[in-house]
Amino acid sequence: MAAVIDLRNVSIGYGADAPPVLVGVDLTIERGSFVAIVGPSGVGKSTLLRVVSGLHEARTGDVTIHRDPRPDSRAVGLVFQDPRLLPWRRVARNVRLGLEGLAIAAADRDRRVEQALKLVRLDGDYGRRWPYELSGGQRQRVGIARALAVDPEILLMDEPFGALDAITRHGLQDELLRIHRETGKTVLFVTHDLEEAVHLADRIIVLGGGGAGAGPARIVRDVANQPGRDAIAFRDQVEQLRSGIADNYSI
Amino acid sequence: MRARSAIPLSALGVVVFLLMWEMLAQSGIVPARLLPSPSAVPGAFLSEFRSGTWQTMVMASLSHYLMGLALGSFLGIAFGTAAALSPWWNAFQAWVVRMLRPIPAIAWIPFAIIWFGVSESAASFLISLTVFWINYYATFSAVRGVDKDLIELAHAFGQGGLVPRLFKVILPGALPGIMSGLRAGLGQGWMTVVAAELFGIPGVGMRMMEASGLLATHIVVLYMVTIALLYGVSDFLFMQVQNRVLSWQR
Repeated sequence: MAAVIDLRNVSIGYGADAPPVLVGVDLTIERGSFVAIVGPSGVGKSTLLRVVSGLHEARTGDVTIHRDPRPDSRAVGLVFQDPRLLPWRRVARNVRLGLEGLAIAAADRDRRVEQALKLVRLDGDYGRRWPYELSGGQRQRVGIARALAVDPEILLMDEPFGALDAITRHGLQDELLRIHRETGKTVLFVTHDLEEAVHLADRIIVLGGGGAGAGPARIVRDVANQPGRDAIAFRDQVEQLRSGIADNYSI
Repeated sequence: MRARSAIPLSALGVVVFLLMWEMLAQSGIVPARLLPSPSAVPGAFLSEFRSGTWQTMVMASLSHYLMGLALGSFLGIAFGTAAALSPWWNAFQAWVVRMLRPIPAIAWIPFAIIWFGVSESAASFLISLTVFWINYYATFSAVRGVDKDLIELAHAFGQGGLVPRLFKVILPGALPGIMSGLRAGLGQGWMTVVAAELFGIPGVGMRMMEASGLLATHIVVLYMVTIALLYGVSDFLFMQVQNRVLSWQR
């Protein structure tokens, strides 16, 4: 399969003088795959995602999307943990944000907004609602629809379900699997929840090695996964990941 | 106490205030020249209205007020936004702002007369000064307070350029704070109208000075009440607009 995201010897840090938080990242992600990035808090999962999205500059190394080091911001669709809806825009106008300024006809733009809302099951009158009129799960669906509306090949998701209750989270996880199946998007999904990673991803990247006095973090495991496996295999996979993280992380 | 259920109590407060004032004025303890009774105000209004003076003065003051309000608000919002967005510009103008800010608008009256003469422009200039500072600081704080995550969102969705970022995220996000500044300027502007007209520019302030010179204090009170009512109406209308503009707030 063709690589869509390619990171070569990437190191990431905040500020020129501060020590790096993540070093030596070599990572190639193929088209259509669903990759989860897991690891303990503060290890640099979200920062890695921000580097791929272009919101944060890597300190060293090369980051390319389709071999392009500076792709258009719309090449990727970003979904945040907090949906970050613009409260002064109704739902449909929030979803439209990434389409504004593109050379597409208004009718086509409206159609894409409608399709994106339909894909996250928020069609009907939801487009006319204000963000404050939605539940937490619905707001996150709008965040996903906004990312999908620009029709990016890559979806970058930063703990998108982390702040939701268990029932809503499980519902949205299944919705995301359906959307991934239907659209064939490449998904890079950050989570601290190992069960979530094993449930969703076909490949799991474990970051570790950081922590108090342990120096910068790095990729410590890169595991192939089979979402939808039986319960025993599921638990085994989660336990293996858990022990892998514990072996490489000092608190 | 809820706002709606407080209305009768607030109305009662006004009635008691007016009654006490009327009783004090009628008692003769204070001469009527020094403290006219509220019951003298309707007569003063009819007299001023029939002669056309009231309408002329109110229209003149309204004209100064609206010009000063528009100019001061626009410049205050523009400069406040620029200072909040540009650290370079903020540092460049910081000490100038600190020097000019404490000077009250009435201290500029001599320069207003020198630059504009005893004219409508002088009054509008003084009003705009007062309104400018209120809007400048309100806008500065509001723009600085816009959620940084939303600005990052604009970058992530192709709206990171200055113009789309400003008009799609920063200004809408700062709007509640900017509206608060506009509302405060609305009230302070009326206070400056009177001060700006005291030195002879036709308007409510000038008429009050004329009346006080003749000890016609009931006419002074009439124009005081007029200012209060004009402020009340303008504030009410502004609130209607604000509620509509900020209807997205919970």
